[in-house]
Amino acid sequence: MAIAILRRLAGAAPAPAFPAIGAGMRAAADDLFLDGRLIRADSIRHARILLVAGPVREADQDDIRRLHDQMLHPRATLWWKSNPVPDFAEPATCDEDDPVAAIEAIHRALIEGARDSEPDILPNEPPNPWRGKGDYGQGGEGMMGGTPYGRPMAMTDDDLRDGLALDAYTAPFGPFLPMLPPGLKLSVTLQGDVIQTAKLLRPPSAQAEAYDGTVTALRALGRFLPILGLEAHAVRCLEAARSLSAGKPIELAKIRQFLFWSGALAAIPSGIGMVEDTDVRMRVERWLAALDESPTGGLDGSATMSPLKPARLVDLLRGREWSEAILIVNSFDTDTLISLAPVEAEDAETEGRAREDGIRMDHEGHGTHAHGATGT
Amino acid sequence: MALEGLAGALVIAFVAASIATVIRLAPSGSAESLTEPQKTPFLGGGAPDTHAWQRYHIRYYPMTLLFIAFEMEMMFMYPWAVVFVEEGGKAMMEMGMFLAILSVGIVYGWREGIFRWQ
Amino acid sequence: MTQVLAIMVLPLFLLAGIVAAAVLDRAVPPLVAGRSLKASFVGPITVASSRAMGQTGATEHPDTISWILAPILYFTLAAIGLSVVPFAPGVVAADLDAGIVLWGACESLTVVAVFLHGWSANSPLPLIGAYRYVAIGLPAMLLSMFVLIAAALPAQSLAVTDIVEAQRSVWNIVRQPAGFVLFLMLGLSLSLRGPFDFADPYDLAGGTTAEISGAARLTWWLARLAMLVSVSAMTATVFLGGYLGPVLPGFVWLVVKTGLVLVVLVGAGEVFARLPPDRMMNLIWLALLPLSFLMLVAVGVELLLWG
Repeated sequence: MAIAILRRLAGAAPAPAFPAIGAGMRAAADDLFLDGRLIRADSIRHARILLVAGPVREADQDDIRRLHDQMLHPRATLWWKSNPVPDFAEPATCDEDDPVAAIEAIHRALIEGARDSEPDILPNEPPNPWRGKGDYGQGGEGMMGGTPYGRPMAMTDDDLRDGLALDAYTAPFGPFLPMLPPGLKLSVTLQGDVIQTAKLLRPPSAQAEAYDGTVTALRALGRFLPILGLEAHAVRCLEAARSLSAGKPIELAKIRQFLFWSGALAAIPSGIGMVEDTDVRMRVERWLAALDESPTGGLDGSATMSPLKPARLVDLLRGREWSEAILIVNSFDTDTLISLAPVEAEDAETEGRAREDGIRMDHEGHGTHAHGATGT
Repeated sequence: MALEGLAGALVIAFVAASIATVIRLAPSGSAESLTEPQKTPFLGGGAPDTHAWQRYHIRYYPMTLLFIAFEMEMMFMYPWAVVFVEEGGKAMMEMGMFLAILSVGIVYGWREGIFRWQ
Repeated sequence: MTQVLAIMVLPLFLLAGIVAAAVLDRAVPPLVAGRSLKASFVGPITVASSRAMGQTGATEHPDTISWILAPILYFTLAAIGLSVVPFAPGVVAADLDAGIVLWGACESLTVVAVFLHGWSANSPLPLIGAYRYVAIGLPAMLLSMFVLIAAALPAQSLAVTDIVEAQRSVWNIVRQPAGFVLFLMLGLSLSLRGPFDFADPYDLAGGTTAEISGAARLTWWLARLAMLVSVSAMTATVFLGGYLGPVLPGFVWLVVKTGLVLVVLVGAGEVFARLPPDRMMNLIWLALLPLSFLMLVAVGVELLLWG
């Protein structure tokens, strides 16, 4: 009885979906989640539906599988204008411009039990074998080696800012993190929340969003403002961008006024993400200035910098605190970001190998690093 | 009055903790048990190489030391607040001096860069 | 007898407050975004049911006990904090001589609860959120204590009931307007909202909540709302005269004032930008904390001259 009521209520809730966005679908996905019948999940753990929007790159297939398996039951996947990745049994697809009805139908069917929750795709095995081996069951010999509880621990390294040797934590971030542009995957080494080194694993997916003055600026603001905790203002910007693209008039004075009072510009540290003498704050100011432009014309795309050979994204991120780094990444449009993030052939090839090497070195370095603290 | 008050707070604590525990541990609608791939930490698609627990590089460590000085100072302020009106100007002077010394501490800390994220 | 009444009223007050806060949380963002207003009581309940139905997840080898205890502790602290608030003259669940000390203890333990919540997941994004919150939570707590001490001066007591009675002539918001604003900031920090949401922000994909789901997420959500209600009631009591007011019964006044503060807090959480943590830490220590000193001195001088 109680369960039945719970189900009815849960079925009426907005469907929480996590978007994994591919090439050319970013704007469409942004618009989609303006619909009140959906909730855009920040983490895959908050989602019931994995919405794969647009074509999936070959390299991203494993990430999609992993994301899918991280979702909790009951769960489902919807392929929106996308090509289902192999291993997904009986994939649900949707090629319409507006998939809200399809998402809602799947959500309701899941809740009511009419649709089975999708099983895991990856094998049910711990990341590393370790159980029961060694003196302490840690998987190695003596006190050393092995992978206690399935994974090794991070090892010490000198810090960029104060030289203190504490643990350097390396992990791949992306390609489907909400605060990073879709497709961008970085291997980041952190000490605390400061980035020591960033390595490009995969560039962002191309979005083919032509420069369109006000609309471009509004979309950029809509993606940038949530980082400053201004989700509602971001919705206002995205909604205005959608209306403007559809040819409806919008009121820009209010947006500028609200942003002024929010202190958004003052909240952005100056001097970060410097490219061609503009920092993050200046680029945001540029968007605000672009709000005045007529939808087509005015500043052309080249004025928002295109040939950016010398700068590299990974260099801009080095030594930055996490939230600053996220601000930097989101202050570029996708095309600029792609030009800042050149795929170096060796990077792509050695992606897997470098990480394995890193672990092995960490293990060997255990003894020496233990005395590695250099103090301030 | 104090004992009764404490008892009241304890009753509230017990009730609230019980309610929260029941909600947290209530059986969910799904019977499936968690699998290994389900437990991979969320990184937007990738899997981490190592555990996230580490000797974390806390960037505000010196700030916490200054914080302790202020926290201790609160011990002095509680009784001071109660007798302030009775004692009048004398209490005012005392606290003024105390706060002035602490402010010097903040200025010194600022000069030494303890509020920098490093 | 009145204490038993207060103990029975408190859960109802908290529940009503949580519902109101949840409704506001759904109504205010669209309002700020300039969309049509859709306030509904059903919305939050459906979301809560949806979360209750889902599977509760886990990561590889988390600190399970801490992970379970953190939201429970957070919720409990909110309730204990509320227990020192008098609902009407003499009607208070915990009438302590040192009421604001108990409140201060709840504030500081909140930092522990939030930290544990992020730390125990054994996952990088929640971990960063946890450590980051401590950097802001600690100095924000100092602010509130200076502000509360300044409120206790005219009452010559640390008991919350006395602080209310001392406001019969003039409310504390008039005595220390800046203190009121600082206390609202603390409210945002305690309930992890908007400009002070350093634990669960978007740039960490939900921070300490990035790995939780199902019942764990439901409990955390309720605890955050409960803390918001608790801090709103405390603000109304310490700065807006609590149950004092003409014509209407005291309890109604408290509810009205609490609701008002609730609206202000939810609104402020949506309209102000969040600074990066290092800048926020600097702002608190170098600007807001000295401001709270000045506020304290101003109240002291005022009491000596005209008290």
